[in-house]
Amino acid sequence: MRVADWLSWTRVALATDPLRSLLTASGIAIGICAVVLLTSIGEGIRDYLLNSFSQFGSRIVAITPGKTETGGIPSGLLSSVRPLSMDDVAALRRLPHVDVVIPVVQGTARIEAGRFARDTDVFGVGPNMDRAWNFAVSSGRGLPEESGHSRYLAVLGDKARHELFGQRNPLGSLVRIGGSRFRVIGVMEPKGQLLGLDLDDAVYIPADIALEMYNRTGLMEIDVIFRESSSSQAVGEAIRELLIARHGEEDFTLLTQEDMLSSLDRILNILKFSVGALGLIALLVGGVGVLTIMSMALSERIPEIGLLRALGASKGEILAMFLLESVLLSLLGGALGIALLALLAVFAHLLVPDMPLSIQPVYLLVGAGVSCAVGLIAGLSPALRAASLNPVDALRDE
Amino acid sequence: MRLLDLIRFTLLTLVRQRFRSFMLILSLALGVASTTLLVSLGEAAQSYVLGEFAFLGSDVLAIFPGRKTTTGAMPPVTGTAARDITLQDAVVLERSVPGVVGVAALVAGNAPVSFQSRERGGMVLGVSEDFFPIRRLTVGRGQVWQGIPLDVSAPVAVIGDTVRQELFGNRGALGEWIRVRNFRFRVVGILEGSADSFGSDLSEAVFIPVASAQQLFNVSGLFRLVVRVDERFDRDEMVRRIEAKMTELHDGELDVTVVNPDAMVASISDILRVMTLAVAGIAAISLLVAGVLVMNLTLISVQQRITEIGLMKAIGATSTQIRLLFVFEAALLGVGGIISGVLISALTLLAAARVVPELSWGLPWWALLAVSLVTLLTATVFAWRPAGKAAGLNPIAALGRG
Repeated sequence: MRVADWLSWTRVALATDPLRSLLTASGIAIGICAVVLLTSIGEGIRDYLLNSFSQFGSRIVAITPGKTETGGIPSGLLSSVRPLSMDDVAALRRLPHVDVVIPVVQGTARIEAGRFARDTDVFGVGPNMDRAWNFAVSSGRGLPEESGHSRYLAVLGDKARHELFGQRNPLGSLVRIGGSRFRVIGVMEPKGQLLGLDLDDAVYIPADIALEMYNRTGLMEIDVIFRESSSSQAVGEAIRELLIARHGEEDFTLLTQEDMLSSLDRILNILKFSVGALGLIALLVGGVGVLTIMSMALSERIPEIGLLRALGASKGEILAMFLLESVLLSLLGGALGIALLALLAVFAHLLVPDMPLSIQPVYLLVGAGVSCAVGLIAGLSPALRAASLNPVDALRDE
Repeated sequence: MRLLDLIRFTLLTLVRQRFRSFMLILSLALGVASTTLLVSLGEAAQSYVLGEFAFLGSDVLAIFPGRKTTTGAMPPVTGTAARDITLQDAVVLERSVPGVVGVAALVAGNAPVSFQSRERGGMVLGVSEDFFPIRRLTVGRGQVWQGIPLDVSAPVAVIGDTVRQELFGNRGALGEWIRVRNFRFRVVGILEGSADSFGSDLSEAVFIPVASAQQLFNVSGLFRLVVRVDERFDRDEMVRRIEAKMTELHDGELDVTVVNPDAMVASISDILRVMTLAVAGIAAISLLVAGVLVMNLTLISVQQRITEIGLMKAIGATSTQIRLLFVFEAALLGVGGIISGVLISALTLLAAARVVPELSWGLPWWALLAVSLVTLLTATVFAWRPAGKAAGLNPIAALGRG
């Protein structure tokens, strides 16, 4: 039997009852659509979260005080008898391959500018914060490098500027932060949120002043940004040695951006696949549908098979014919599913433009492959039964 | 046609087409089982999370230093504000706000804790006596220090059970002197059990009086205040009263956040409920697929039984009766699907309860009801059109086809 004959045979078999074929295929279609759509949403969420984490640049090593043995509350927030100091920051700046070192102290305070006041986050940071966190200054300049005690200068986040100054130019004016007067020297560009922390609704002041203002002995975190000339392992090792030499023991925790991203990535991948697996249930039910319909088609076509066998078709050919039919049926379902998906994606894009959806061509291929596989598996048992029919009995069935 | 006849007729049809009925029930059961299982998984997760919060009791408010104008975001958990909450604030709150029954002050930090040659780093909590009843912590051996005013430091400590084991092993710990950084404390009590919450295991903590912790860490403020209020007072009213008092104490500036844990728990519970429903909804897609199969099989069944339908119509069956026949068949299959699906998920839940006994596994009745209704509805709705096709057949033409 030629390939063309096989194909036309299958086409006739499928087209005899178009409604039945369409319904069977649509079961598969819904399944494929669910799997691909859910995996795409999972992938979209993963992209979104990874991006929001890596927007600070990928060459960051974060140092927090205290060796976490218990976990729970992030150790930087607690008081510690072994603080990270501004002297540690100065020492880290002298390490080779280190580009920028940013001390971090975070708290809240009331910020007053003229008649307006706002309770919001205050970050004590260092110079070159813009370069370290990929966080550009939109007007004015960032905190300057200073020797000795810093001056009372402040940089406003975009939202804080808007709330306190409206359309007026804040540069050069004075604001009160936690009772002290600061001169505004710059405004940052909008950056967005990270884990519920709004970086735009904040002001940035020198870390040593923030330590005084909050009456803290130690920093909450030190971010070290290293040059491309080195790797995070090498820099991490150098930092560890330096701080152990300074503190006498390892009383701090290092976290490289790579560690953080890879553990986040692992969690998000698990999430993605478990969401996709939910869609697989629907696909499984669709497969049961194909199995049922193929079995019924078999029982209706027993005499036909008998005739074919009597005319010389081999068992293998009968098997192949049935399998081809169920695979084509499933592929049709896969194609329908992908079309449905495209439609849904367009709608989603129009209605909820922010929805994290990342449909990748490879998923479409996988969808087609999976529908093929479903067709093969579901068609196997009816096809085997068809092939094993005794031609004489089958013919008599008429 | 009587109801009994209807049931017998339908059952006969279903049994005669064993394979088809079995496959349909299987696919419906898969949908039912996955939906109910996911709902009960979500419910179990929800009750687990709520249980984690239960230690707070229903009569507690938390006060954090610092405040943010943007509402709805996280409370300022960093506990760093331009102006501290002081021990004096705590004393005033306890004395002068009606409805406040107890105030537990908290200073938290990390410090090395040692006994003779053994040392371990751990969480050190400066607390007032009231902290123990408010957090529902029980002291197994010894007792909590008593009668020490808030602003007086004293060299006494209560230690968690893990700390006791690590530092003392099998020796008695009561009455021994331990060293926290360079301060010495006498162990007066040992905490019972593990009492962990949010991943921070309090059995690994050392508790000392607040004023001592302020000396140890050289801080003047408090990490947070936990206030127990009289249950007869309205919680929101108490939040307002405490805010007013703190404003008065802080020179007319409201710079603390008062958090009502009830409201937080309620919103977390809401989020988890929505997630459960969303996941169950996704699983319900498989019910839709099963519905398509119902429609397909009913169509085929109508085609195969055209002569039978013609005969029935010829001997006086009405169109409504024919439609009822097919729809009833689908509904009966739906019932079969529901029963076997629920059985599958009940068995799985039993197994799950064996493996993970910490979670409370259960099938919420509302989920069962909803899933059953949806399944029945799906089965009948998808059978409706093909059944209509059967009902609309012309008896003569139908008989002629046979």
